[in-house]
Amino acid sequence: MGHQPDTMGERRRLILRGIAAGGLAGAFTSWSRATWAEGHIDLPFEGGQRDLTHSFPQKGEMILLRTRPPLLETPFPVFDRGVFTPNDQFFVRWHLANIPTQIDGAAFRLNVHGAVKRELSLSLTELLTKFPRVELAAVNQCSGNSRGFFAPRVAGGQWANGAMGNALWTGVRLRDILDRAGVKAGSAAVRLHGLDMGVIPATPVFMKSLHVDHARDGEVMIAYAMNGQPLPMVNGFPTRLIVPGWYSTYWVKMLSDIEVLQQPDDNFWMAKAYLVPDTPHASMEPGQTGVPMVPINRMVPRSFITSLSDDQRVPAGQPLTVRGIAFGGDAGVRDVRVSADSGSTWSPARLGQDHGKYSFRQWEIRLTPKRGPTVLQVKATNTSGIVQPTMANWNPGGFMRNVIESMPVVGA
Amino acid sequence: MRHSTLALLTVVTAAGVSDGYAGSPADAPLATALNRTVNVTLPDSHHVFPPGEGADIANSQCMICHSAGMVTRQPPLTYDNWKLEINKMRSAYGAPLPENQVDSLAKYLTTIAGKQQGK
Repeated sequence: MGHQPDTMGERRRLILRGIAAGGLAGAFTSWSRATWAEGHIDLPFEGGQRDLTHSFPQKGEMILLRTRPPLLETPFPVFDRGVFTPNDQFFVRWHLANIPTQIDGAAFRLNVHGAVKRELSLSLTELLTKFPRVELAAVNQCSGNSRGFFAPRVAGGQWANGAMGNALWTGVRLRDILDRAGVKAGSAAVRLHGLDMGVIPATPVFMKSLHVDHARDGEVMIAYAMNGQPLPMVNGFPTRLIVPGWYSTYWVKMLSDIEVLQQPDDNFWMAKAYLVPDTPHASMEPGQTGVPMVPINRMVPRSFITSLSDDQRVPAGQPLTVRGIAFGGDAGVRDVRVSADSGSTWSPARLGQDHGKYSFRQWEIRLTPKRGPTVLQVKATNTSGIVQPTMANWNPGGFMRNVIESMPVVGA
Repeated sequence: MRHSTLALLTVVTAAGVSDGYAGSPADAPLATALNRTVNVTLPDSHHVFPPGEGADIANSQCMICHSAGMVTRQPPLTYDNWKLEINKMRSAYGAPLPENQVDSLAKYLTTIAGKQQGK
């Protein structure tokens, strides 16, 4: 490890000194690349060169997209190892860089206030002992997962397909917490935020809201464990909102504040950020104007081959088991189909164990690759009948990609 | 602090889809694990922006809120796109970049990660 991390605090002091001195130019003398002994990876799009890092606390090998605040992608081979994504390789996405690095679990409180009959301030022990425990397997996927594949390219975190993961979440229902507080009649929304803050006061606090009926649907939960363990700090220790079937932007990390609102939430993170076209597949033409936009919401189905990688050589004329994962978005997986002839014919894959409708589901299929280049494709249909589209969507935020995946392989 | 993948998978298998209730003895390890002080160090990047006219603005302004890699890993953007991004940082996120530096910064970013205007 040639990389000696300094702390966030040191960097902030340095930055502030730099501002005071009229700029940082003097603080750094050259363009330097940190040395990452762990190696590199090339993601399959322009500018996809990435370092692999082991430098983040409680995390194993991750693809480094941004150091501060952290954007860490799961290396794709991890998804072949099982239906649950290990905590130490689960993707990480923070908006604001002022992230607590020390949390005293015994002193932590989850506060409930706003349009409620009784304000609450709950300790972790109270969450563990005073409310029914629930467990749910659910996929957590970044709204911008796969943004690097958008054509034309769009600004934002340039993820490949690894800004997603599946975990068994343990915790309490948000409904049970809200009912303990007593939501006042006529309330509109429940707003949630965590302990993270911006570096400068002018940056809007990261807050997300759910319609009050959604917040009380009995599925939305507050997790204090992930795959049977406390959450890693960078995944939201000690409590994280779980919004099954919805994109990760709502899954507030280090959740510390629940506010019941009597009007819909117009804060920046709901009204201006994370908006998608209100069109089929959230798709529009580049440059198109006047498109109605809505806050991103339910996920759509996706499926991936995990047992092979792009351009892999496979034995021609011999049976091959191809394996992968699928998820239905806001519904279960009805079926997964695979094509080995560029989409002319599709064969059903065998589905693995069902861990619940919001979970990854493994699939596998036996096929016999022909000699020469072949494109394998995989598409999932969810239990609502929604099928992955043949054409990739496009929107300026780079959100909600779920086109049928294609993987070139070579029979030899 | 680092958990091994193997250990975690074991935990997942053991946890199953149980319907545990509050206060059971099985909760004790989790209660202990949650009621402790967790202290971590987040690594920081030593990267700065590549040299060039305007790099000083990028180093002093962009890096207040995020490391340089967020910018250097963007796809090639036009001058107009960069200007939009810069103004979003100013208006939405409160970046203290003076208006009279927007043009210089957009020109610099176009030289390090730019593409021609037009489609």
